[in-house]
Amino acid sequence: MRRRAFLVTGIVLVAVVLAVALLSLFWTPFPAADTTGGRLEGPGAHHLLGTDKLGRDLLTRLMIGARIAVAVGAGAVALGALLGGAAGLLAAFANRWLDDSLAALLDILIAFPTLLLAMLVVAARGASLASAIVAIGLAMSAIVARLTRVLAKRVLAMDYVTAARTSGVSWPRIVWAHVLPNIWPTLAVNLALQFGLAVLAEASLSYLGLGPPPPNASWGRLLQEAQSTVLTAPVGAIAPGVLLVVLVVGVNLLADGLRDVADPTRRRHR
Amino acid sequence: MKKQRIALLGAALATAVALAACGSAGGGAATAGASADPNAVVQVGSLYEPQNLDNTAGGGQGITEAFNGNVYEGLFRLTDDGKVEPLLAAAHTVSPDGLVYTFTLRDGVTFHSGKQLTSADVKYSIEKVLAPDSKSARKSSFPEIKQIATPDPKTVTITLATRSISFVYNLSYVWIVNDQAGNLQAKEDGTGPYKLDSWKRGSSLSLTKSPSYWGTPATNGGVVFHYFTDGSALDNALLTNAVDVVTSEQNPDALAQFTDNPAYKVNDGKSTTKLLLAFNDRVAPFNDVKVRKAVSAAIDDKKLLQSIWGDHGTLIGSMVPPSDPWHTDLTGVNAYNVDEARKLLADAGHAGGFSFTLDTPNYDPHPTVAAFVKSELAKVGITVNINVITPDQWYTKVYQNKDFTATLQEHVNDRDVVWYGDPSFYWGYDNPQVTDWIKQAEQASSEADQTELLKKADRQIAEDAASDWLYLYPQIVVASTKLSGYPVNGLNSQFFAYGISKG
Repeated sequence: MRRRAFLVTGIVLVAVVLAVALLSLFWTPFPAADTTGGRLEGPGAHHLLGTDKLGRDLLTRLMIGARIAVAVGAGAVALGALLGGAAGLLAAFANRWLDDSLAALLDILIAFPTLLLAMLVVAARGASLASAIVAIGLAMSAIVARLTRVLAKRVLAMDYVTAARTSGVSWPRIVWAHVLPNIWPTLAVNLALQFGLAVLAEASLSYLGLGPPPPNASWGRLLQEAQSTVLTAPVGAIAPGVLLVVLVVGVNLLADGLRDVADPTRRRHR
Repeated sequence: MKKQRIALLGAALATAVALAACGSAGGGAATAGASADPNAVVQVGSLYEPQNLDNTAGGGQGITEAFNGNVYEGLFRLTDDGKVEPLLAAAHTVSPDGLVYTFTLRDGVTFHSGKQLTSADVKYSIEKVLAPDSKSARKSSFPEIKQIATPDPKTVTITLATRSISFVYNLSYVWIVNDQAGNLQAKEDGTGPYKLDSWKRGSSLSLTKSPSYWGTPATNGGVVFHYFTDGSALDNALLTNAVDVVTSEQNPDALAQFTDNPAYKVNDGKSTTKLLLAFNDRVAPFNDVKVRKAVSAAIDDKKLLQSIWGDHGTLIGSMVPPSDPWHTDLTGVNAYNVDEARKLLADAGHAGGFSFTLDTPNYDPHPTVAAFVKSELAKVGITVNINVITPDQWYTKVYQNKDFTATLQEHVNDRDVVWYGDPSFYWGYDNPQVTDWIKQAEQASSEADQTELLKKADRQIAEDAASDWLYLYPQIVVASTKLSGYPVNGLNSQFFAYGISKG
């Protein structure tokens, strides 16, 4: 069961990062603003992974970074799912004219680079954690909306939905009873993938200095700060990179595994 | 991220000043000589590409670095130790009231286009700097000029409205250009030892020897400035011999690869770039001198400098860098003392602390410095909200609209303590006594008087904690040991290349 191994690996990787993020809310090795360490100390007993330029504990900063990564991933996915889901369903139920217009709009939005859209939002709202979530969530909602629209339309074309409609069932009821249960598995897999993309997008924004402002220790910012010291203190650049990979690979494996669980037909074909 | 610096008042980052011409050239001077090849082309690596080729049209620090002294010359030249010496002016006299300056031009000077230098060119060049649409860094430093007269082709007479002891110094920033040359944003017509060969935007700018140069010809065959947006890429170019010298190394952690390598020499020169935590002295809580002093005393500048620059850079206690003639060591004023900071805060009625927003430019080192300031001030109960902004936003929000409480910014010029005499400047420091001293200094009849008055003003702003001067940047030039005679000091972005020899 190779697929099952992937799913389990995914769950473990994501769970580790989630646990670290949760732990950081209650405990970190040092206070976040503690600058008592030396400049760029190497890994040791006192500072397990060493310190940054200002003498801050790297492990502490990585743990806080995990919190930010999870918050942005979850926040952006929630926003994208709400906005995108609503827009997609609206398009699916709308008359032809509105549907075509929405579909065209979504295509344009999707063609627009996520990072550029996010930078526009940040420029308008100022750099903050909320801005990053809103920016990435907005960009994501277009992708979710298009998927929702296609999936919902397929369900709406089914005979049993036509039967329900002709017997006078209200459309909120149709969404609840027929559409959502049928599109949910595919949507969930897609949202899991989007979670990984959101984490990467936040890291990119932070790397460019457009993410949550300092001293927030986003992994992207840690990478950026460590870039100039990569020769003298390589752990500072390697550690956030490894964590990013762990989380993103984790959610991708998880999404892959979920797809198999959610869609038994795929499993049979293998 | 791309290194970007706000050129305050259009001025440029102090990068390097050379001095081959006056014999005090920097790095590795001893190796010059027998093995040097007079036709070798010097490859220079820089992070500062010009916006255009005209320093009165917003060309930026890059064009000063490439052209000042190399392609264009002024009536005067600013030397390595910050002194002013005649260049295109053979002699000058000042009237007893200090208002009328008469300059005699050097004989036999021609522009690269072949035209003779005349007084009309000088008049045109000064007017070009002072024109309404001029973006020259020094425009506002000039005194009011009543008249520029050109009685004959070799003589220029300038009448000022008020005395100005810095007038000759300010003239060292005025490039003398051909008055017939027209738009100089993409071409040049100067009198310097080099002429422009080609400019490949986004990549490089090359200069070749001017055969008709009036003075001592350059000791090399030409110079090519290579432009990089990333410091690491620039360091790699030096390691692979794609460039011979880096004009301003910005990353102390990259230096190890050069200090341990006998093929390179790392030069620690003098800098005039100061990093400021600038308060808005107009608004609460920073309109209270006790609060400003408390913040200054609560931040450990030494630790900050060590964090950002390792063992490089210098601590400063006020706006005047050691290379300015009126420098005094004021690092003891409002020195790091957390207990004193707490006491001052309590005296000011902020025993429980307060919070403020720190507008932080988004490029290095500001975000890191902001995080450090936040952590230091937290120890005395002050909460710092870091607001990251772009250089454009900084210019509009902070510099123009003065809509800020405190900000971080680097100030690059030498002799810029005089800004504390302007209450309308962005930081809004308004002490009539200081304003008066600085005004008197400019109208002083001797340099000794000027120096004494500016020293007084400097001490007063330090005692008032008008701003918090965090540290003075280092000026690090890294070069191949094959080079000699290159400039090592940082003064207003200049990089005189004509004295460089390449073996």
